[in-house]
Amino acid sequence: MKKTMTLLLATMILATFALAGCGQKDAATPADNKAAGEAKTPQSETAQKPGEEAFSMTIRHINVRDTAKLTLKILEDVVKKTEQDVAGLKFELDGVEDTVNRDVKLKAEMSAGTQPPIFNLFGGADTKNYAAAGRLLPLNDILKEVGIADSFFDLREFTVDGKVYGLPESGFIEGFFYNKKVFDEAGVQVPKTWDELLKALETFKAKGIIPIALGAGGGDGWSVNMLVNSLIVGFGGPEIQEGFATGKTKWTDPAVIEAFKRLQELQTKGYIDPNALGLKYSQGQANFYTGKAALLFDGSWAINALVGDTSTVKDHAGFFRFPDVGGPGDGYINGGWSNGYGFSAAVKDKELETVKAFIKNFYTIENQKRGLVETSRIPSMKNITNIEGANALVKSVGEAQGAAKGAFPAYDSLVQPKIKVTLESTMQELIGGEITPEKAAERMQQVQEAANSGK
Amino acid sequence: MNKVHKNYTAYFLFVVPAMLLYITFYLVPLFNSLQYSVTSWNGITQPVYNGLENFQKALDDEKFWIAFKNNIYFVAFSVFIQVPIIVLVSVLVSGVRRFLDFYKVTVFLPSVLSTAAIAIIWQFIYAPDAGLINQLLREIGLESWAKIWLGDKATATLSILITNAWQWTGFYIVLVLAAIFAISKEMLEAGEMDGAVGWRKAWYLTIPLIRPVIIVVMLLSITGAMKALDIVLIMTKGGPFGSSEVMATYMYKQAYQLGDFGYANAIAIIITIFTAILAGIFHLISKRTKEVEH
Repeated sequence: MKKTMTLLLATMILATFALAGCGQKDAATPADNKAAGEAKTPQSETAQKPGEEAFSMTIRHINVRDTAKLTLKILEDVVKKTEQDVAGLKFELDGVEDTVNRDVKLKAEMSAGTQPPIFNLFGGADTKNYAAAGRLLPLNDILKEVGIADSFFDLREFTVDGKVYGLPESGFIEGFFYNKKVFDEAGVQVPKTWDELLKALETFKAKGIIPIALGAGGGDGWSVNMLVNSLIVGFGGPEIQEGFATGKTKWTDPAVIEAFKRLQELQTKGYIDPNALGLKYSQGQANFYTGKAALLFDGSWAINALVGDTSTVKDHAGFFRFPDVGGPGDGYINGGWSNGYGFSAAVKDKELETVKAFIKNFYTIENQKRGLVETSRIPSMKNITNIEGANALVKSVGEAQGAAKGAFPAYDSLVQPKIKVTLESTMQELIGGEITPEKAAERMQQVQEAANSGK
Repeated sequence: MNKVHKNYTAYFLFVVPAMLLYITFYLVPLFNSLQYSVTSWNGITQPVYNGLENFQKALDDEKFWIAFKNNIYFVAFSVFIQVPIIVLVSVLVSGVRRFLDFYKVTVFLPSVLSTAAIAIIWQFIYAPDAGLINQLLREIGLESWAKIWLGDKATATLSILITNAWQWTGFYIVLVLAAIFAISKEMLEAGEMDGAVGWRKAWYLTIPLIRPVIIVVMLLSITGAMKALDIVLIMTKGGPFGSSEVMATYMYKQAYQLGDFGYANAIAIIITIFTAILAGIFHLISKRTKEVEH
């Protein structure tokens, strides 16, 4: 009796291990990705001609949320087409939530050298680190071969020492979204200068409307940094933020201190939501799209939320560029192209061929147009004409972009991660009334110098 | 039995699996962590040995000390506020004759929920505009008491502490209740005959008798407080401006936000050492008091 029990137990334990093994294998393939699976299976059968060796390749993407459904569809169509183009190829779509992928998964894989052949990649510090470790495939030759070397607006966030290591899928533009109805009722025009902005904000405050919606609590300090970023460039010009990491410019420069002072002014006059530090970024957004606030400073990625089903302002939301402050950065708009796909340096012949086919099929004018019309995303490639079907808000963002003198990237793609995090908590302190603009600037400069010296 | 003592194969069979698990999942990671804690490593390129620089950095790091202080608050709050409340409520509930199961279920309920769910529920409660607490305060005319609970450095940590206590108190109450019900009837009756009734009975009889369980509860809440991470991460992410950070969230940030894995590992080691010291001190104190009593 006892023996049978032991045997039974041992079998059970073994079975559990075996099952666990199976489970892991299954987890690697995207089980939730039904549409792709359906499209894939017959595809790979037809592509697999006799004599051709079948092989599979993984694409790591971040389109896992419900709001990214349409973006995923574009990727799936490209996957289908590429599988037809490359004999024997079967793609595996591996969807991972973006911060998990960016901060944990991809990092660990890069460290071990086991990164997937095609993966979602951020420009700036991420690209620099991975390129330095030799994990990324340089794309200059492929871009020439495919004929899209000059098709992108801007590849500088993905370029290290003249080599391109990634291709942005779409871009972003930052500025003020405004509630046209509230503006009309208060008789306020779109402000062109800082003084006009202050006057408008005062009017809204007097009417009991939150002038600027903002959610910058907890880990969402970055949302206040967008506003600061435009202020810094407004007073210091686009070059100022490029100089931080090289030591050419300083956080203690008068332009930065002036920017910090203006932010503080917005806070002390009650123009920024006084609850900002107790709200999450999305709650700040919600205050705007439920009509409680007159303005919201945000990026073009917010459009989907602002015109979503729960929005009460979807028909009367407008967009304008950060007003002129009387500095060398006047007329510029904050925008960049920092997220897209990168490729592993470890790919072999067959896989390299696939990478080329993928790039050729993914980075097309049609796909860019689909991204703009279907998902309200700013294109990363030039020469898109006829944007029929795009919503009015993304069109007005596009117009503001077109009318600007030029675009400057977000500061965090130009500085070390430590600077980004320090500025987040420092700006929270500034709008919380805990620190003076001068002290804030001093602290930023100290951290910057330490980061520049490699500590 | 004697046969097994001499049977080395049996020893081997029983000990090896446990040893393997212990080595793979405890010793190796601990050793790895130690190894990385003396390097400068961004998680991608080769780690560079830098001696005790990371530990030095932690000692000089103002933000780390804020996190450290908050861990102390967590521990102090558990031991000096939470545990007395647990004992008090348990004693009260144990005296209830009707609806005992109802009370047990209601106090235990929060422990069933995941920390993530609880943190999110309480975020709503603390929300500045629509939150329950501020609404209540406004309702009863205490408008000026309304605060941005999680966005104000004066209240952020306390708000988290209360939520954390709310989650775990019920679990511990059920433990303590079980101990109270395990006390033999004869002993209680004998005590009552000697005149121990009401609070006297609780103080001189019940509490000394359930002392071992109280010590376990304290130890559990101390170690729990030292590893607090999820609740802080979800409720405030250590904000505003790092004022509600605990050591574990600070470690997490250093690793995954700043890519400073060497420093993060050093912090992990510090947490381990500090928890061991704390548990050791607690052990000594509880042993000492026991000796005195006997």
